[in-house]
Amino acid sequence: MDIPEPIVTVRNLSKIYAQGEIQVTALNQISLTIAAGEFLTLMGPSGSGKSTLLHIIAGVDRPTSGECLVQGVDVTQLNESELADWRNQNVGFVFQTFNLIPVLTAFENVELPLLLTRLGSAQRRRQVEAVLDLVGLSDRMHHLPRQLSGGQEQRVAIARALVTDPKLVVADEPTGNLDSRSAQEVLGLLQSLSRPAGKTVIMVTHDPKAAAFGSRSIHLEKGELTR
Amino acid sequence: MTLSSFILKNALRNRRRLALSISSVAASLFLLITLQIALRELTNPISDEGSTLRIIVRNKVSLGQPLPARQRQVLEKIPGVAAVSPFTFYGGLYKGDEKFTSFAQFAVDPLRTRELLADARIPQEQYEAWVASQTSCILGRMTAERYGLKVGDRVQFTGQIYPCDLDLTIAGIYQGTADDRNLMFHQKYLDELLGNPGTVGTWWVRAASIAEAPLVTERINRAFANSSAEVRAESERAFVLGFVSMWANIKTLIGGISVVVVFALLLVTVSTMSMAIRERFRELAILKALGFRRRELFAFILAESFGLALAGALLGAGGAWVVFHQLDIQKLTNGLFVMFEVTPRMMGLAFSVAALLGVLAALGPMLTVVRTSVVEGLKTLD
Ligand SMILES: Nc1ncnc2c1ncn2[C@@H]1O[C@H](COP(=O)(O)OP(=O)(O)OP(=O)(O)O)[C@@H](O)[C@H]1O
Ligand SMILES: [Mg+2]
Repeated sequence: MDIPEPIVTVRNLSKIYAQGEIQVTALNQISLTIAAGEFLTLMGPSGSGKSTLLHIIAGVDRPTSGECLVQGVDVTQLNESELADWRNQNVGFVFQTFNLIPVLTAFENVELPLLLTRLGSAQRRRQVEAVLDLVGLSDRMHHLPRQLSGGQEQRVAIARALVTDPKLVVADEPTGNLDSRSAQEVLGLLQSLSRPAGKTVIMVTHDPKAAAFGSRSIHLEKGELTR
Repeated sequence: MTLSSFILKNALRNRRRLALSISSVAASLFLLITLQIALRELTNPISDEGSTLRIIVRNKVSLGQPLPARQRQVLEKIPGVAAVSPFTFYGGLYKGDEKFTSFAQFAVDPLRTRELLADARIPQEQYEAWVASQTSCILGRMTAERYGLKVGDRVQFTGQIYPCDLDLTIAGIYQGTADDRNLMFHQKYLDELLGNPGTVGTWWVRAASIAEAPLVTERINRAFANSSAEVRAESERAFVLGFVSMWANIKTLIGGISVVVVFALLLVTVSTMSMAIRERFRELAILKALGFRRRELFAFILAESFGLALAGALLGAGGAWVVFHQLDIQKLTNGLFVMFEVTPRMMGLAFSVAALLGVLAALGPMLTVVRTSVVEGLKTLD
C-alpha cells in the first residue's frame, strides 16, 4: 500500500486576533497533514476557525505563529508579491457567494487568472473552453453572471479555479447559497476533481451531507481540531 | 480578453455615472480654458515694435479734451520725432449697427500714416487713392471681412461724440498691423464738417528709434509744460496698458475662479473614482486572491482614473478649441474681445490639470488596495 505524499503540512499553527485588551484565538496550535488527491472537508460550528485555516493554507491570510508548508513551500514566509504569484499558479478558489465579475462573461471570468500567465490568446481559449466543458457549461460561455443560475455561476467559479491547473482547490461553503440539486452537482464536480484528476480539494462546510462527498473530514471547535 | 479590455469593461460598467463624470470634467476644463483666454485677452496688450515706437499725445486734463492743431509745428521740431499726425477718435455709430460699433474710426493725416503704421500693408494704388480723395477712408481687413465691405463701398457713420455724420468711400483695405480693425479717414474732412475748429483729439507721434522713444516722450511733455494746453505723452503701449490696469482686479478674480474650478474638478473625479472602486471592493479582493498583484491593481485604477480625466480633457479642451475657432467672438462680445484664441499653453494647462486629477483621484483607491487584505475584502458585502 502506497502512502500518498502530503501536499499540505500544517505545524503548530495559531491565529490570534488582538482587539484592544481582548484576544480572540481563532486557531490554537493546529497541526495537520493533507495528502495529495484528498478531498478534505472542514467542519465545525460557526466561529470555530474553519475559514481562517482555509485562508492561511491558501495563502491569503497569515498566521500569528506556526508554519504551513504546501508542496514543500512555507507559504507563511513568502512576501506579498511572491504569494500572489504562488496563488495564481497553485491555488484555485471557490467561494460561497460565487464572486464572479459581473461585467465579464462566463468565458472572460474563467480567462481572468490566465491573463497573469504568459499564455497566448489561442492557448488561453483552449484552456478556458476545456474547463467550461468539464463543468458542463460549454453552451453558456458568453452569458453574463446575471444570466446564469446560482448553480451555473458556481460551476463557472469552479472552472475559474481550475483553469490554471492548480494542485490545490479550496472551497469555503461552496454550496451554502445553492438549492440541493445544484449543490449535488457542485459537490459531484469537486469530488471528481480529487481522486480521478489528482487535485487536492479542501472544502469548508456546515452540511454533513456535503461532507459525505469528501474522502476525509476533520472537525474544528474553538480553534482546535477535535477529531 | 486582454488586460486593457478588462480595464475598459470595468470603467464602462456604470455608463451613466461615467458619462456624467466625463461631462463634468469636460465642462470644468472648458470653463478653465475660457477663463484663461479671457484673462489673456484682457491683460495682454498688443505689443510690437510699432507700438513701442508710437507715442500718443493727449490733453493732460483728460482724454476727452481736444488739443490745438497748432501744436503740430512744435511737435515736428522736437528732436527724435520722425512723424506727426492728428489722431482723433471719431467714435461714430456705423450705419446698420444698433447700439455699438465695435471698430474705431480715427481721423488722421493720410500722408503720415505710412510712417506711423509701418507694418500696415496696403496696395500702393489704394493708398494713393485714399490720399487723393478727402472723403475716402481705409479700413482694416478684419472689419472689412466682418461686414463684407470692399474697396469702392460707401460707409456711413452717425456722430456720437462730434455733431456731424460721416459719409465715406472705402479707398483701400489694409492688413498686417497687430489689430486690423480700425477705419482711418482724413482729419481735414472732419475739420471741414465741424467748421474748422482748429483742434484735434490726440497726436500720434512716431519716434525715430526705440532707444529714443522714452526721451521723445519726455521732450514732448516738457515742450508744452505751462502752455494753455498741457499734454501727456506716453507710448502707445503704456496708453493701452492704462486701460488694461482697470482689469487688474479682474485678473485676480479670474485667477481665483480658475482655482475653484480646478478644486471642484478634483472633488468630482476623486468622488467618482472612490465610488467606482468602493463598489468593487470585494472584486479587488477576488482579483488579489486569483493572483493579481498590487501593482497590477494599481495599474487598473490608474488607467481608469486617467482614462476618465483624459476623456474629459479631450472633450472639454478639444471642445473649447473647436468652439473658439468657429465662434465670432468679436461679434458676440460687441468687440470687447477681438478673438478668443486657444493657445497651446492653455491646452497644455488643461491636459496637465487632467493628468494631475487622474493621479490624485487614483491615490485614495490605491491606498485602499494596499490596506485591505483578501480576507477583509471577502468579508465585505456586495
Ligand atoms: N478580523 C477579525 N478580527 C477579530 N476576530 C476575528 C477576525 N476574523 C475572524 N475573527 C474571529 O476568529 C474566529 C474564527 O473565525 P472564522 O471566520 O475562521 O470562523 P468560521 O469557522 O469560518 O465561522 P463560520 O462558519 O461562521 O464562517 C471567530 O471567533 C471570529 O470572531
Ligand atoms: Mg467561515
